[in-house]
Amino acid sequence: MDELKLRVQSECRSCRHFRNDAQYLEAAFAGLTSLSSAFGSVRSDDGICLRHDRYLSARSFCSDFSPAAAS
Amino acid sequence: MANVEVHPDRVISPPLRWRELWLKEDWWAIWLGLGIVALAYGLFANGSSIHWLAVTPAKWSTWSQLGAHFAANYDRYIAQFLVWLAVFTVALTALGYKARDFVPSFVFLYALSVVIFTIGQWDKANTYDLEPPLVALVVGLALSNVFGLPRWLDAGFRVEFYVKTGIVLLGATLPFTLILWAGPTAILQASIVSIITFLVIYWVAIKLGLDKRLAATLGAGGAVCGVSAAIAIAGAVGAKKEDAPIAITTVIIWAVAMIFVLPFIAEYLHLPAGVGGAWIGTSEFADAAGIAAAQTYGNLAGHGDVAGTGDQAIFAYTLIKVVGRDVWIGIWAFVLAIIATTQWDRTETGRKPEAAEIWWRFPKFVIGFLLASLLITAVTAGYSLADFNKTVVPSLVGPIKDLRTWAFIFCFLSIGLTTRFGELASAGKRPFLAFSAGAIVNVIIGFILSAIVFAAHWENLTP
Repeated sequence: MDELKLRVQSECRSCRHFRNDAQYLEAAFAGLTSLSSAFGSVRSDDGICLRHDRYLSARSFCSDFSPAAAS
Repeated sequence: MANVEVHPDRVISPPLRWRELWLKEDWWAIWLGLGIVALAYGLFANGSSIHWLAVTPAKWSTWSQLGAHFAANYDRYIAQFLVWLAVFTVALTALGYKARDFVPSFVFLYALSVVIFTIGQWDKANTYDLEPPLVALVVGLALSNVFGLPRWLDAGFRVEFYVKTGIVLLGATLPFTLILWAGPTAILQASIVSIITFLVIYWVAIKLGLDKRLAATLGAGGAVCGVSAAIAIAGAVGAKKEDAPIAITTVIIWAVAMIFVLPFIAEYLHLPAGVGGAWIGTSEFADAAGIAAAQTYGNLAGHGDVAGTGDQAIFAYTLIKVVGRDVWIGIWAFVLAIIATTQWDRTETGRKPEAAEIWWRFPKFVIGFLLASLLITAVTAGYSLADFNKTVVPSLVGPIKDLRTWAFIFCFLSIGLTTRFGELASAGKRPFLAFSAGAIVNVIIGFILSAIVFAAHWENLTP
């Protein structure tokens, strides 16, 4: 397994506390669709950490990582 | 500890990489916009035109004229509606929406857009300030805030998707040579205002005791591209979950107010169309709101006190906003991510800023805008000015411009239909004060640069 795969597996994107699907974010952030959208490139793949209540990059990491189910 | 809501069935979301090409609306705006431009050129090159499909309500002064227009062209409207419906359904289905939600919503949106467009074509519309962007906004706001609409209808009110598609189409009507000529000034002017505005909002926010990450989120919202910039920076610096909605509320209140205020102050000050467009591009916050204000001002051009053409207002706005401000969001995010991780208080989470973020967050629809401009400029380079006006404008550029206007009307209506003031998060007094300080500085410096320092440049912005 290469280094990139190992890193991705421990990032927020692979954590069960992290949500970054666009429709979820548009429901979570009131008013987001009025003048923007969660489907834009500028959001990249940021999402919400439900454990720490932070909005952050999917490339973030922390000691509370808990793996999500494999897709 | 925070209120934890764990989703045991959540699956890993792999990096987007190439999947961005069909999972981000920026790319869909490019596919649709460039597809329309390519089709228009293909027909033009074979002696035909997309004109038949790009039908718009004609100028009218009596009900009988209006009735005659629709009686003669109803088949064109039906065809146009079906084409828009088909391409948007494909795109939004790929993005994850259900066609059964989108289709009825778009039927409603298109029907209302025909009404708004028709009102704008009334020969007394200017007399009563019935500018289509403002009428669309007022009607949309009334429907969503006074009468209320079912939530599922939001599937078709995709403000950002429509404005991006419209901007790609706008590229086809803007000569690439004009972008090269005016672009550097647009970047210089926008950079001066963006940096000063960000620093003012950030400084005032810190003085008022706000968290640095919220201060940066608000600063980017005011300085770069409104809500989109705010959420990009919130993610880059790892802001608290509630910071983004605070910035969203603040930006919306200011941006919607500026749509109504800026064009009429510019008119009162007798600013030429290009100068007014540049000022709006420097001072509005979100692309969609700015296009609404710029198009309103463009519609005032040629009437009364506004010299110049409608295109000058739209072109100046787009150069400042899209080329001068939007494209730098990735750099803002990268720099602020470095500062957040190395200088600010540590949070529970960490990350390593990567230069690739500049590309990840690049507003890709700008590529479509530039390609559309390059394509049409290249294929029409051999025409004399007389032939261009006689042949290219009515058969190629004009119809694309008409389709662009439709996309923008969908956008303006959607702004109103999705802005429910009662549902916005409470912004709080201090964030609102910090943002307002920057917004006021932004408007003043934007005016000085647009109407004094670079006035001759923007006034003479001619394709």
